[in-house]
Amino acid sequence: MNPWELIIQQPLINCLIVIASVFGGNFGVSIIILTIVINLAMLPLTLSQIRSSKKMMDLQPKLAELQKKHAKDKQKLAQEQMALYKETGIKPAGCLLTFVIQLPVWIALYQSIMLAMAIAPEGLLNLSSYLYHWEAVFNALPLSRSFLGLNLAEPNFILAIFVGITQWVQQKMAQAPSTDPRQAQQSQMMLWLFPMMFTLISISFPAGLPLYWVTNSIIRIIIQYKLAGWGGLSRKPKTDEGGRDKKYVDLISSAERKSTDEVGADIVITEQQQQPSKNRYLPGKDREKHRKRK
Amino acid sequence: MNQISRKKRRLSLTGKIFAVTVLLLVIGAIGFGCVKGLTAIGWSGGVVSDDTIYLGTQEGRLVAFNLTDESRLSAEKISAGSSGGGLFGCIPAGGGCAGGAGVAIYGTPYFTDELVYIAGYNGKVYAYNKENLATRWVYPREGYLEPIVGGVVVSDGRLYFGGSDGYVYALDAETGDFLWEADTRSEDYKRDKIWATPAIADGTMYIGSTNKVFYAFNTADGSRKWVFPTEGAVTATPLVVDGTVYIGSHDRYLYALNAADGTLKWKFMAENWFWAKPLLHDGKIYAACLDGKVYVLDAATGSKLNEFDLEEPLASDPVMHDDNVIFCTREGAIYSINTAQNSLRQLAVINEGKVEINGPLAIHDGVIYIHTSDLLLRRVNAETGAILSSLVLSFGE
Repeated sequence: MNPWELIIQQPLINCLIVIASVFGGNFGVSIIILTIVINLAMLPLTLSQIRSSKKMMDLQPKLAELQKKHAKDKQKLAQEQMALYKETGIKPAGCLLTFVIQLPVWIALYQSIMLAMAIAPEGLLNLSSYLYHWEAVFNALPLSRSFLGLNLAEPNFILAIFVGITQWVQQKMAQAPSTDPRQAQQSQMMLWLFPMMFTLISISFPAGLPLYWVTNSIIRIIIQYKLAGWGGLSRKPKTDEGGRDKKYVDLISSAERKSTDEVGADIVITEQQQQPSKNRYLPGKDREKHRKRK
Repeated sequence: MNQISRKKRRLSLTGKIFAVTVLLLVIGAIGFGCVKGLTAIGWSGGVVSDDTIYLGTQEGRLVAFNLTDESRLSAEKISAGSSGGGLFGCIPAGGGCAGGAGVAIYGTPYFTDELVYIAGYNGKVYAYNKENLATRWVYPREGYLEPIVGGVVVSDGRLYFGGSDGYVYALDAETGDFLWEADTRSEDYKRDKIWATPAIADGTMYIGSTNKVFYAFNTADGSRKWVFPTEGAVTATPLVVDGTVYIGSHDRYLYALNAADGTLKWKFMAENWFWAKPLLHDGKIYAACLDGKVYVLDAATGSKLNEFDLEEPLASDPVMHDDNVIFCTREGAIYSINTAQNSLRQLAVINEGKVEINGPLAIHDGVIYIHTSDLLLRRVNAETGAILSSLVLSFGE
């Protein structure tokens, strides 16, 4: 047994079997519980990932300003962006790093689920070499593959569709708006590519694997919602103006009309913006309203 | 100059993104790729009749080798069931998909005077003429049963086998006509896969199930004689000798039962599953276990007389050669236990762990035949341990 199997796979497989034995040998329940436990263990990493994404989202208006301000000087733009990231404590590579750290854990969980399911006779025979010498482990096998009317050893189309839907929702929630049209296009592509890819894989694999993916996505959706709300899912659809969010369009287009470089100012307030809006706080008027209420 | 350096910087950034993406894809592909053991490959053992060895290959066909002149014959490749191997070839449903190799065959062929029989993972049983391997009959003639993992056994003109659907079947061995089927489900026990080969003795069929129960059926009509519940799945082939049934279970026990009524005579506990069929010689049971040990037990009492640590899991049924019991580990180490001297000797190591050996061993004229997962039939001299030239089982497409 290699170190990966000994340190990661073997404990996970035995955990799956023990949990299943506690719940009457039900492997479906075991998959769900272990996925929840692993997610809880990874919570600090997940939280930092979501917080970083949220900060990135909040930073988009400032990034848009910078992009317009230094549209002609990419080097300056990069410097300013880095300075802004530093100032707000955002590490753009942090999200990727967190993902890279989490990846082996998800791979190990996937492998353990597939091994514990022992679909082919070879799989059952191989499983024997992973077992701890615990009575609960030996007596629990083979695990029941029946869960909520599903056969976890066979592909299930409905569960595969659920994988796609939950992954799309999760990604959409986590998606940061981008001021760069190319980047926005790429994000949009990824938003559809990954859920579709996982749906296709799920159609081909035993339903135990999609069950793990669906559980994982639902947990991520819940954490994401608790921490950052609906995120990208609640944002208004993007316009055709380079994939920008509508709420930034006015600001950007006004800036486009009058470059900041010409006036030498960091922020340009246009005539339109100087006019009072409905939501703007107006001292005199609001004081009057306040008196009337009294 | 400035433009060139900007371009270079942009390229290096693109390169980094590309490298990270490729790295993640590679990690993902390796990690989320097919896990070992998901694919049904098969491990049929060989059986020798009239100087010819018959076995089922991973290409999904029955092959016959003449051991005198090494000429070979092949039956028609058997076809997969209705369900395929899934988009990524990871689902063994319908007949295995080891890279699209063919229908997996697990059971060792069984022969009579005229016919050779095999059962496929596609859920069909086949009978071939011994002479030319032409198909005599197929059961079921249309459609497929659930995958068949255990072998078939013929006795008194009837062929018996168990299926992954949890039923045991009896067919007319001559014509393939259906005679009876028996359900393993009852009020007390749920139905689960049968992956074991049955044993027939004195009008009784003995077979274990993954529902953790060992059964005895009346061969005349399939009625249940008795059941013996264990704490683990039963996938081993039972050994029936002199009114006693010896059967290993995944609960780590080897049981000795009264063949007449299924009552327990004795049981012996090891450290892992018993997958292989035990062997009886001179009043002693030689039981290979997946814990890497061979246990020598008193056949009458079950008390342990000796144990040999082979250090690697044992799944193959052993064979007898003179006074020696020969075992093969899953990694390909072949050992001989001299029953007279009670000593262990390593005969040979084939392929040094690169292939898996799970199927039963065969022996003929002092040569051990081992079917390995690389489509070869390995040969080892049972006396000297000399590794002889292998027979190639692949016939291509």
